[in-house]
Amino acid sequence: MLDKVWFPLSLTLWIATISSILVLFSGVVIAYIFARRDFRGRELAELLVTLPLILPPTVIGYLLVILVGRNGFLGNLIYNFFGTGIMFTWQAAVIAAYTVSLPLMVRAAQAAIEAVDRELEYAAYILGRSEIETALLITLPLAKRGILAGLVLSFARAVGEFGATLMLAGNIPGKTNTMSISIYSAFQAGNDELAQTLVIILIFISLLAISLTGRFIGKLEV
Amino acid sequence: MGVKIDLKKQYSETNLGRKKSVKKSFVLDVSFEMENELVVLFGPSGSGKTTLFKCISGITDLDEGKIIVGNKVYFDKEKKINLSIQKRNLGYVFQNYTLFPHMNVRKNIECGLKGWEKEAKEKRVLEMLSLLHIEELENRYPSQLSGGQKQRVALARALAPKPEILLLDEPFSALDLEIRTRLAEKIKDLQSKIGIPVLFITHNLEEAFQLADKILVLYEGKAQQFGTPEEILYHPENLHVAELVGISNIFDDAYVKECDEESKSTVLKSESLSLRVKTQRFKPGDKVSWGIHPENITLLLPDSNSENQNENTYSVRINNIINKGPKKRITLTLVRCGKILTADVPAQFVDSLKLHAGDICLAKLEMTKVVAFHKS
Repeated sequence: MLDKVWFPLSLTLWIATISSILVLFSGVVIAYIFARRDFRGRELAELLVTLPLILPPTVIGYLLVILVGRNGFLGNLIYNFFGTGIMFTWQAAVIAAYTVSLPLMVRAAQAAIEAVDRELEYAAYILGRSEIETALLITLPLAKRGILAGLVLSFARAVGEFGATLMLAGNIPGKTNTMSISIYSAFQAGNDELAQTLVIILIFISLLAISLTGRFIGKLEV
Repeated sequence: MGVKIDLKKQYSETNLGRKKSVKKSFVLDVSFEMENELVVLFGPSGSGKTTLFKCISGITDLDEGKIIVGNKVYFDKEKKINLSIQKRNLGYVFQNYTLFPHMNVRKNIECGLKGWEKEAKEKRVLEMLSLLHIEELENRYPSQLSGGQKQRVALARALAPKPEILLLDEPFSALDLEIRTRLAEKIKDLQSKIGIPVLFITHNLEEAFQLADKILVLYEGKAQQFGTPEEILYHPENLHVAELVGISNIFDDAYVKECDEESKSTVLKSESLSLRVKTQRFKPGDKVSWGIHPENITLLLPDSNSENQNENTYSVRINNIINKGPKKRITLTLVRCGKILTADVPAQFVDSLKLHAGDICLAKLEMTKVVAFHKS
């Protein structure tokens, strides 16, 4: 029993952590570019990044399979490089989690960066600081709360990811059975005890995430 | 170490960034040269003062022209030079100070000392703190500072990297009157100490005259006049400048009757009024406007002087007197031609002469205080 809880829990936290780290770095860069740069096709790019928020998880899963499957563009590259496919591995689950949680990060961080007074940035430029220095010294520290809120939301979303993960990583016991997927299998197999335990743990993680986000967003005005 | 600015830039008054809701567009058209002195940019809001600063600092790109500070060319359209903001080496104090809220005063000042050795950096910060008398604020955060203190920190931060020119955008607009006056003294003192050109934006007339070595008057993007405070006040070149310096009695129906070489003055004829003005800018027959500041009209009792014996002295009837504290605003009608003048007279004076509405007295328009300019 403990093993049946422990593996999905540790796998899920691992996947969510890796995904969140990727989301943090790429999401902040994307958010900064969206907030501070005007370029052709920006609206299209914003739309593409936001899309996973509203698309059904199965549609995302399907599109990702096309992209990273053995015959997909990325999948083919990966296969040629590593000599092995990525489908039905924990890495595939990270890709699914990353895709669905990135928009949460980008939206939260973008709003926070846009709220930073541009004149503060100009003041730093005038003091001789480059754009990257200014972003690291001024803009991002001042957008910290929004970025942290985005991070927590992304983590929670990654923990709860089900549909796209199932299509991309499958449900291989001891390999890709994350919490949400384990709940589904336990329920299907009539193992109520396991399902309930996992459900309680997931609810706990989500509550924690929401209370953390609330605190960050509450302090956003400071 | 001179500054040479000659630029053109299309700008709009309500440009709100992403969603452009452009209301009215102007062409910023400014050209002037200055030495190590304090030049005040004076004009109503929307006249392009801040836009000019943004062009000088490189925040906004120019359409055409040249900006040269000392031996550094910031911008030259013809030579295709456009230095990045970071390389311009100027000090800029924004209207709302733009102190970095998450850094204490020391860190704020250090921000401009990129690449300095640790010891030199510390020494420079202390120098700046003592220059502005804010040593005790070193470890405070901007949210713990008063408006005047923020102002000083912003100045310290701007001056720390040894800029070649200092731009101050309405630095006192958010401060109390008392602190304003004291800080203005400080700025003047500072300018002579650091010996760099200082450009100072204000739409406050008193501040402009208190501080300026020279004043550049801007109106709807165009430089109207550039000169010393006296030149601006007593020899405004056009209606905009005259109105901006507070001259409210303006009449545009005069022509030049006579140019008097000997006394370096000009006689104007405005309807039946003959008026002598201390200027040699005109030729006989020129159509001109003339005016006088309400505070420069002197009232006299009728028995002491008669109208014909004194130049620029006319019989007037008092229409009404409005109490404005230490001053009284008096509306007068010139008996001879019916023109209406407004005069601001010390309350004490009005009371001691016992002036009342309906009284007849004399108004003297001192010839050095009467302004005249070509009719626009």
